[in-house]
Amino acid sequence: MPVDADAPVNADANADEDIMGRRILLIEDDADTAGYLARGLAEQGHVVDRAGDGRDGLFMASDGVFDLIIIDRMLPGLDGLSVVRALRAAGIGTPVLILSALGSVDDRIDGLEGGSDDYLAKPFAFAELLARANALFRRAEGKASGTVETRLTVGDLEIDLLGRVVRRRGTTIELKPREYSLLEYLARNAGRVVTRTMLLEQVWDYHFDPGTNVVDVHVSRLRRKLEEGFGQPILHTVRGAGYRLAAA
Amino acid sequence: MPAPASARAHGARVPVTMRVAALAMLLALLSNLALIGFVWWRTHDDALAALRGQAVEQARALSDVYADGGVRALRATIADLRDAGDPRFVAALLDGAGRPRDGNIVSHIPGAERHVAGFQIVRLHAAGTAATEEAGVVIRPLGRAGWLVSGLTFSERLTLQRTLERSLALAVVLSLLFGLLCGLVTAGYVGSRVRAIAVSVDEVGAGDLARRAPITGSGDAFDLLSTRINLMLDRISALMAELRLLTDSLAHDLRSPVGRLRARIERAMTTEDEAQREALLGGVLQETDALMRILTTVLEIGRSEAMAGRERFAALDPADLAAELAEMYEPLAEEAGVALVLEATPGISPARFAGHRQMLAQALSNLIDNALHYGAAGGTIALFVGVEGDMLHLGVADRGPGIAAGDEAEARRRFGRLDHSRSAPGAGLGLALVEAVAHLHGGTLRLDDNRPGLRATLLLPMARNSA
Repeated sequence: MPVDADAPVNADANADEDIMGRRILLIEDDADTAGYLARGLAEQGHVVDRAGDGRDGLFMASDGVFDLIIIDRMLPGLDGLSVVRALRAAGIGTPVLILSALGSVDDRIDGLEGGSDDYLAKPFAFAELLARANALFRRAEGKASGTVETRLTVGDLEIDLLGRVVRRRGTTIELKPREYSLLEYLARNAGRVVTRTMLLEQVWDYHFDPGTNVVDVHVSRLRRKLEEGFGQPILHTVRGAGYRLAAA
Repeated sequence: MPAPASARAHGARVPVTMRVAALAMLLALLSNLALIGFVWWRTHDDALAALRGQAVEQARALSDVYADGGVRALRATIADLRDAGDPRFVAALLDGAGRPRDGNIVSHIPGAERHVAGFQIVRLHAAGTAATEEAGVVIRPLGRAGWLVSGLTFSERLTLQRTLERSLALAVVLSLLFGLLCGLVTAGYVGSRVRAIAVSVDEVGAGDLARRAPITGSGDAFDLLSTRINLMLDRISALMAELRLLTDSLAHDLRSPVGRLRARIERAMTTEDEAQREALLGGVLQETDALMRILTTVLEIGRSEAMAGRERFAALDPADLAAELAEMYEPLAEEAGVALVLEATPGISPARFAGHRQMLAQALSNLIDNALHYGAAGGTIALFVGVEGDMLHLGVADRGPGIAAGDEAEARRRFGRLDHSRSAPGAGLGLALVEAVAHLHGGTLRLDDNRPGLRATLLLPMARNSA
C-alpha cells in the first residue's frame, strides 16, 4: 500500500534531536513500503534492520536488542499478531507498533489487545508513524528508569501529577479534567509531536475518526488557558502533523 | 448442472439414505425383538424342563427294571404304568427297524430307526387317543433287546406354550423382514424429500438464485427445513442485491473525489509556481484522507450490518457515554454558537445495557456532527438518553430545518444526499452508519420531526431484568 510516498516530511514536525540512533526492526513484506519507511527512519538518524516475513522477523526480534519493532499485521509465514504473542510469551518486552491494512475499530482494538503497544492503519502519514514511534521510545525510557514521576516540567510550566495541579510561573491554571488529561499526555511527550489521532486514542479512548476538528478545538482551549497572560507560547501547532508542547 | 458435481452429490447422498434405512430397520427390529422377548418372558415357564426331567428319570427307572429283570419285567412294568399310572405315560420297545412293540405307542417314532439316543420332542400316536400329539421321549439302548422309548405326552398347557413359542420364533423372522421393509420405505421417503430440497439447493448453487426449496404444505420437518432454507436464500438474495447496489454506488460516488484528486495532481504537475504546487499537493493529501475516511466508514457500516463486533459488547452506562460526547463536542458547539444540552435520565444501571462503546460513540458523534452542520441555526442541540419499557432511547435533537417526510429514505441511504446538503462536506454516510450501529445492537434508528428540526433516536433493546 502506498504510504503517501512523496509527501514532504515536515522537518519541523520531527525536530526531536534527543531521539536519534535507535535500533528499529522493520518487519514488512511489501518491499515498497519497507523501503520507504526504512529510508524515512534512517533520515531521522535511526538504524533500521529489515525482515521480509514473520519467521525471520521473530528470529531477529528474539535477540531483544531493538528499541522498537514495527511489524505489518499480515505477513507471509507467521502473521504479525502471532509474532507479537510469541515475543511476549518469550518475555521480550520490546515496544511493538503494528501496521495494518485492516482499519476498522475492532481491528485496531484487536491489535492492541494482542500485546502490541500501538496500532496504525494503512495508509498513514509518515509523520504519524514517527510521532507514535517517538512516544513509544519515551514510554520505554520511563519504564526503564523505574522511577515514578510525580511532577513534569516543561519550561516554566509545572504539572503536579499527584495533586493534578498545573502552574505556570507559579500561577495556578484551572483546567477541566479532560483538559488536564490532554496536557498531561502532551507533557509526557514534551518536545515531541503528538498527532490528533494519538490524542483521540490516548485522551478520549476513541479509536474512530470523528472527521471534524473536535480535537483542535479542545487543544486551542487548552492553549488559551496555558498562554493567555504569559506571552510566551508553549503549545505549538505543527503543520500537517499535530501538536507539540515545548518551552520554545 | 455439470455432471461431476451431480455425481458427487449423489455419491454423498446414497450412503446417508442407506444409513437411514439401516437405522429404521434396526429400530424396528429392536422394538419387535423387545416385544417378542417380553411376551416370551411373561409366558415361558419351566414346564418343558420339568417334563424333560421326569422323562429322563422315568427312562432311567425303566432301564433299571430291564437291568434287574430283563425284557419280561420291563414289559410288565410298562403295562402296569400304562394301565394304572399317568395318562400321559407313553412307552414302547423298538425293534431293530425302529418299529414300536410292546407299548402304547402305535405310530412310528421319527428318528427312531436311526437310533438317536437321548431326549427329544416328537409327534407320536399313543394307543387309545384319536390323533397324534407331541411328547417328550427318551430313547435308550437295551442291548440285545433293542431300544426302549419312553416319555410323557404334552399336557394341553404345554402344547399351547409350544405353539406360542413357535409363533414367537416366526415373529422374529417376520419382524426382520418388516424392519427391512420399513427401512427401505423410510429411506425412500426421506431420500426423495431430501433429494427434492438438494436439487433446489444445487440449482441455486449453479446460479439459479430465484429457485426455492419445495414446500408440500404438510408442515412437517422437511417443510420446516425448506422454509428455513428459503428464508436463508431470501436473505442472501437481499444482501446480494444490497451489495450490488452498494458496490455500484461506491464506484459511482468515489468518482467525484477521485476526479478532484486527479485534477489537482494534473495541475500540480503542470504548474510552474512552486507555492501553488505545494498548495495543490496539500489538497491532494486532504482529498486522499477524505477518501480513506469514506472507505473506512463503508467498512464499518458493512461490519455493523453483518453484526461483526458483537463479541466486543460490554456493560456500559449510556448516560455516561452521552455525557462524554457532550463534553467532547461542547467546544465545537460553542464555536458554532449553539447550546449543546444533555438530557439524560440518570441511574440507568450498566447491568441493563450492553453495547459497543466505540460504535455507539461514533454513531452519537455522527448525529451531533449532523446537527451542528444542518441544525445549528436552531440554536440548541439536545443529546438525550432515556428508557421506555425495555427500550433505550439515545439520540440527538436539533431545531434546524429537519428532514422532509419524503426525504427520509434518501437520508438513511448510504451515499444518500439531500439536495440542500449537496454543497456541504461529507459523503452521505453519516446516518447510514448510525442506522447500522442501531442494527448491530438489535435496534432501529427513528427519525422524527422535532417541530421544527430533526430528532434522531437510536431505539436499542435493553436487558429485561428490572432496573
